[in-house]
Amino acid sequence: MSRTARIILPLAAALALALWLAAARQLLPWADWPGWPLDPQAMDLHQILLGFGLMPRGVIALVAGAALGLSGAILQAVLRNPVADPTTLGISAGAQLALVLATIFAPAMLDQGRWPVAMAGAGAAAALVMAIGARRAFAPVTMVIAGMLVGMTASAVATAITLARGEYLLSLVIWNGGALVQQDWAGTRALALVLVLGALGAAALARPLRVLSLGAEGARGLGLNIALVRGAAVALAVALAGAVSAELGLIGFVGLAGPALARTLGARNMAQVLALAPLIGALILSVCDGVVLALAGAGGEMFPTGAVTGLIGGPLLIWLLPRLRGSTPPGTEAAEGPAPRLARPGRVLVALALVVAAMALLLVWIGRVPGGWAVLDWDSFRAFLPLRLPRLVAAGAAGAALAMAGAILQRLTANPLASPEVLGVSGGAAIGYAATLFAVTAPGQGPLTLGTMAGAALALALVATYARRRDMPAERVLLAGIAVSAMAAAVLSAIMATGSPQSWQVLAWLSGSSSTVGPAQAAVLSAIAGAVAAAAWLGRRWLATLPLGPEVAAGLGLPLVRARLALILVAGLATGAASVLVGPLSFTGLMAPHLARRLGLARAWDHVLGAALIGALLMIAADFGARMAGFPYELPLGLFASLLGAPWLIWLMMRTRR
Amino acid sequence: MTAALFSIEGLSLDVPGRRLLDGLTLALPAGQMVALIGHNGSGKSTLLKVLARQVAATAGRVAFNGRALADWQARDYARALAFLPQTTPPAEGMLVRELVALGRYPWHGALGRFGPEDHAAVEAAMAECGVAAFADRLVDTLSGGERQRVWLAMMVAQQAQTLLLDEPISALDIAHQVEVLSLVRRMCHAQGRSAVIVLHEVNMTARFCDHVVALRGGRLVMQGTTAALMRPEVLAEIYGLPMQVLRRENGEAVAVPA
Repeated sequence: MSRTARIILPLAAALALALWLAAARQLLPWADWPGWPLDPQAMDLHQILLGFGLMPRGVIALVAGAALGLSGAILQAVLRNPVADPTTLGISAGAQLALVLATIFAPAMLDQGRWPVAMAGAGAAAALVMAIGARRAFAPVTMVIAGMLVGMTASAVATAITLARGEYLLSLVIWNGGALVQQDWAGTRALALVLVLGALGAAALARPLRVLSLGAEGARGLGLNIALVRGAAVALAVALAGAVSAELGLIGFVGLAGPALARTLGARNMAQVLALAPLIGALILSVCDGVVLALAGAGGEMFPTGAVTGLIGGPLLIWLLPRLRGSTPPGTEAAEGPAPRLARPGRVLVALALVVAAMALLLVWIGRVPGGWAVLDWDSFRAFLPLRLPRLVAAGAAGAALAMAGAILQRLTANPLASPEVLGVSGGAAIGYAATLFAVTAPGQGPLTLGTMAGAALALALVATYARRRDMPAERVLLAGIAVSAMAAAVLSAIMATGSPQSWQVLAWLSGSSSTVGPAQAAVLSAIAGAVAAAAWLGRRWLATLPLGPEVAAGLGLPLVRARLALILVAGLATGAASVLVGPLSFTGLMAPHLARRLGLARAWDHVLGAALIGALLMIAADFGARMAGFPYELPLGLFASLLGAPWLIWLMMRTRR
Repeated sequence: MTAALFSIEGLSLDVPGRRLLDGLTLALPAGQMVALIGHNGSGKSTLLKVLARQVAATAGRVAFNGRALADWQARDYARALAFLPQTTPPAEGMLVRELVALGRYPWHGALGRFGPEDHAAVEAAMAECGVAAFADRLVDTLSGGERQRVWLAMMVAQQAQTLLLDEPISALDIAHQVEVLSLVRRMCHAQGRSAVIVLHEVNMTARFCDHVVALRGGRLVMQGTTAALMRPEVLAEIYGLPMQVLRRENGEAVAVPA
């Protein structure tokens, strides 16, 4: 351990203790503290609040932080991936979704407590992400993208369900934020037991994990049973993270920060990291909770501790990115085998355009009425057209803009998993929207749009500072985007936890809806989609060359930095504009470029244009589905689109390379 | 004696904890096939990347055709000099013709018209490298040797007078190695181009190249003709291993580890 560590760790411990003591002393003067063992019969109210509230809270912060730090250290070791942790791999979000589902559809399952349900959810999410990773040789960036997408999807579904049954689920929303409030010692005891078992398991795994750090081939050569060690280590990490999720909710990024800081403070080998990471994790969560307690004491406002750790996590991830070694074997981040290529792409593009037009017309024409379906006669058609056309046009334009942004990003990064959701622009847009709601009294559509675009632009600027660095591989720019998304998610969950009227408006927007669109907004969105298409046409030669990598592009005299910045800017503005309508998550930007490529549209401009048409088609269809599926109520548009997109995405990532 | 293609003065390049190039001073001749050789980690690929402006040097001056590297515009530089990286990236969904046509970027830029002279340059490049027969096939469906010739054709279409190649034969079998190096040699000697090429294989260097620059630990060990290279004491100094030089019947030298 370095000298810095010997100074910093005791300081952090002292700070955590001081913050907790300050809260405790405010509750009850030193002289009135209850004796040990605690006997509720003999205690007054304040003594009970201290002995069964604050005291277990202080201990559980330490225990949970240690469990998360250990979980993250194990995951990072077994995946050889310095940004792996229960949050980035979607494990915590899986547990969250399982609990929400159980609460709504099978409350009886919760009779046994939250643990089995949360564990099942965490395990399922981890299994899914691992299955995807196994197909790609556990390539670090792909793993994190897969994990974040699984996590975002789980959160989206959970959000939608919360929205649908809102009034019953406020407690779940608060749980989502990761509040550390305790009422007795039971949770603390249970988590402490899990931590002790986990520590024993980690001690047993330390040596195999060290061998595994040579890489799968090398470790197999030394006679290690790779599958067994990987399986056991991941199971242990999932159990630790799932236990914390079940007891406290989503506490992000402690598992990321613990091992990262342990390494920064001089832990070199596996045993040192495994020992130091839980210690640091415990201190981080303790200090964060102390800060929350101090704020609660001062203002009476309750912020869940998990939101605070999330706020630390985003910047930490960004700080870690340049330190991520680029040791990915070439080709492993790529997708499936060669896609077909059309000899005459023009015909397909024209056909697609015709389908979009026909579809739009058809969907204006038919609709649901109470008791069945109806095809409009001419008079009703004329009456309905001004009502239905703007939202159809807006949905189509938003879909096209997202799809073009996705196509541009996929070509820019040569990574078929790139998409606006992953770039963090959507997350920034969400923060902008929420900030406007809180800053302006009853804002109209104009201020909201401006605020959303500003948020998107800010996220964009953050990500673009990464793209400016010439030696920064494009896939790491994606990771910077993921970090921004994570930070945005943390802020949003803090907002949700306040339970204020604005929070419900944010929640509604998060799932996306086109019900309030007017002709003006439709026109603006169409203009933006057109501008993005024009920009893509102008940059078509860049888009053709950039997939070949920076070496070739620079060798041909491409202005690499300027080209990347310009294309990211275009993609970001398109995403920001579309997000106002669709919400931050739809997967259109991921799906449409992929479908276009699988159709055989290989050349850059064909690809972008085809993606735009398919994106428009998808979003128009999603809009229709969202209106019709729950008639007469409307489902959120973005949610409907992402329910279509998520299974597709998972199928896509599970495909093997031919 | 023509002016030097590259003149390098006091060139150093540091990465955290290591010095990859250490005070190199040398001049590379124009109109020749110049080999950069040395052991693994000797800095030969790094030097080539500095010359291609793929990485920036920490200290020192490099001039290309008498002009400092930093003074060149990106597209002007690409018109004068073409670079082939060590591992060519997969060209997903791209036809041979399209990949070769990318070599015209320095001439028409992002927005310029792809005119008749561009078409002519692409056709000529494909003919010169013998890839015209599969102009309309997907690049990723070709064999390793064919693909390498396609990338060379892209460099030819770039119409640069100087070619920089980073281990262009490392992934090829011996027949394709000879084929690719013969092609590069023909491009140099018949078309008056210059080439700087990183090579591992000392006998291939002796057989195909005109001029040799040998590095060891980021420093210059020797430079001169291939005849000067093929001496046991010189090879031993470059590779740190006793080497024996045999004579073939036609007088060509062949080096083997002693």
